[in-house]
Amino acid sequence: MKINVDYVARVEGEGSVKFEIKDGNLKYLKLNIWEPPRFFEGFLVGRKYDEVPDIVSRICGICPVSHMTTSICALEKAMGFTPSPEIKKIRDIMALSQIAASHLVHVYALVLPDYHKVDMLIGLDEEIKRLVRLKEAINNVTAVFGGRALHPVSMVAGGFTKIPSKDEIGQMIKRLEGVKKDALETVKMASALRYPDLMSDAEYVALSGKDVYAVNEGKIISDSGIETEVSDYYSYFQEEEVAYANAKKTILKGRAPVMVGALARLSIKFDKLHPEAKKAADIIGFKKSVKNPFFNIIAQSIEIVHCIWRCIDLLEEVSPLDSLSPVKPREGSGAAMTEAPRGLLYHEYKVNRLGIVENANIVTPTAYNFLSLEENLKKLVNENIDKPPEELSLLCEMLVRAYDPCFSCSVH
Amino acid sequence: MKKPRLGFFKYSCCAGCEFQFMYFQKFIIETLSSFDVIFAKMLKRGGNPHGPFDIALVEGTITESWQADELKRIREQSKQLFAIGACAINGGVPAIKATMPELEAEKKVYKDISAIHSIRPHSLDAYVKVDGYIRGCPPGERDLYEALSSLLTGKKPDFLEYSVCIECKLKGNICVLVAYDMPCMGPVTNAGCGALCPSMNRACYSCFGPMKQANGPALAKKFKMMGLSKDDIVRKFTEFGADTIEFRRAIEAYED
Repeated sequence: MKINVDYVARVEGEGSVKFEIKDGNLKYLKLNIWEPPRFFEGFLVGRKYDEVPDIVSRICGICPVSHMTTSICALEKAMGFTPSPEIKKIRDIMALSQIAASHLVHVYALVLPDYHKVDMLIGLDEEIKRLVRLKEAINNVTAVFGGRALHPVSMVAGGFTKIPSKDEIGQMIKRLEGVKKDALETVKMASALRYPDLMSDAEYVALSGKDVYAVNEGKIISDSGIETEVSDYYSYFQEEEVAYANAKKTILKGRAPVMVGALARLSIKFDKLHPEAKKAADIIGFKKSVKNPFFNIIAQSIEIVHCIWRCIDLLEEVSPLDSLSPVKPREGSGAAMTEAPRGLLYHEYKVNRLGIVENANIVTPTAYNFLSLEENLKKLVNENIDKPPEELSLLCEMLVRAYDPCFSCSVH
Repeated sequence: MKKPRLGFFKYSCCAGCEFQFMYFQKFIIETLSSFDVIFAKMLKRGGNPHGPFDIALVEGTITESWQADELKRIREQSKQLFAIGACAINGGVPAIKATMPELEAEKKVYKDISAIHSIRPHSLDAYVKVDGYIRGCPPGERDLYEALSSLLTGKKPDFLEYSVCIECKLKGNICVLVAYDMPCMGPVTNAGCGALCPSMNRACYSCFGPMKQANGPALAKKFKMMGLSKDDIVRKFTEFGADTIEFRRAIEAYED
């Protein structure tokens, strides 16, 4: 019996799942990411450093801030520029607001319909209204700092072209305060869903900082003992082309498949969450090292709480005087890694003395998750092999959605 | 009133338009309850991709031949077909690939290109008749609402057809090109963003693509007088709209 999920709906981009069951055994299973390539790493060569963030932002319509920030950090490193702590703080605010916004869409619009046994979000009016309230308050932060929430324009190498007034920041805080209850309600809602059982063997990997829940910088840490700097990236990670997919698989050399994203982050740096997020996790009895990938959805809801409370703290601290410093182009190479909503994001550039890109490499969260998602799909099918095909396909789709993949990003 | 049957299709792009259309705005309930969503991958499981549709919204650049085939089929099944976003309208960022030898770009990304079937990136109207253009990257809210409300009321949408400069004047912005010598693409770029970049103290980079009848060569000459190199000018006119007549003319004019 061949089962073919032609396209996985309610995810970003294009991917399908194909598998065959013969005599009660799974013969093969392939996650075919057929999203067409756009060749960003190809056409970035020859472009100038000051247009790179605007271009890479278009890799993803959901996490443009992550691509912009990561490229800016890598380019600044390449050209020997160190941003001020104040600029870093605003970049953190941008990142946190985008992580929350992305999680909100994922939890409510992409995932929730499965658990209400409907095809799309229509009809769940109370949930939609809560989503809109939360999203409006969060997007307001990204939009006022960035000019607009989707493909913002103020983020450049050297800082921000414009910074909101004290008044505008006060308004942001007020609006965020107004949705705290909705955020906590989201955790309750996510924890009340009945998730399928599955135990993953994946190694969790995330960025970790000294005292903070790292988003834009930190060491690469895994739950099985890896602790390394981003500069040592190639000693651990390896990119492989896949015959049946346009996305590449990025693996940890000689180790288990990798999972990145909210669940991995919570496993590795739960202690550094905002106290309110920890409290929310305690209330629902969320344990630190959960191995069921479906629980990524609960992890995201806990992160939504973290992002809102942390954003408020940072907004109260922020006092930007010089938001933009000149960056002088010079020859060099630089790499940076950040936590995009879906997990680790790596950008690396080599530029010449004019700041023209000579080489670019971009590795996205879904490339890291590719292998473990495929392995867990196999496991899921094997454990449910007696179920009718319709149910099996839906289960597979639900697992793909739980990983919150971005196929557009993964191919780019 | 019968709800219009809507299909949303994605080709090579960031999916930001579908995102903007469905989840981004505060009118999720209104939008979703006004249309009968027949097909939209990012929104609905089990949709019907074959139509027929009253309206097809299509995002993304055409970069593989199957997309062109499918697009023609959608066109036949749709009363109206609107292009949404820069990629579908003028090639957007994916069209930067057309500024270099295709093979060169492909080989920089994949060692084995035997399974890659990319063709030269083009906008939708290189292949089919397009009834409306919801410009921008991401689409501007004003034009998006205009499009959706026009489709619901059956009137002809009144899209903005002037340059970003007009929006700056309406806002009372100081001209960043004249006053601060920033290489601003505003004079040749279609409005719809609310003069976003100049309002954020930076030069417009043309994410809404060329305005129809834009005088690209004149702006290219201005940039040259300001001391921009030929390469810099080419980059300005190829970030969004490498696939358009307006911007190609600007590049050709540099040597004059």
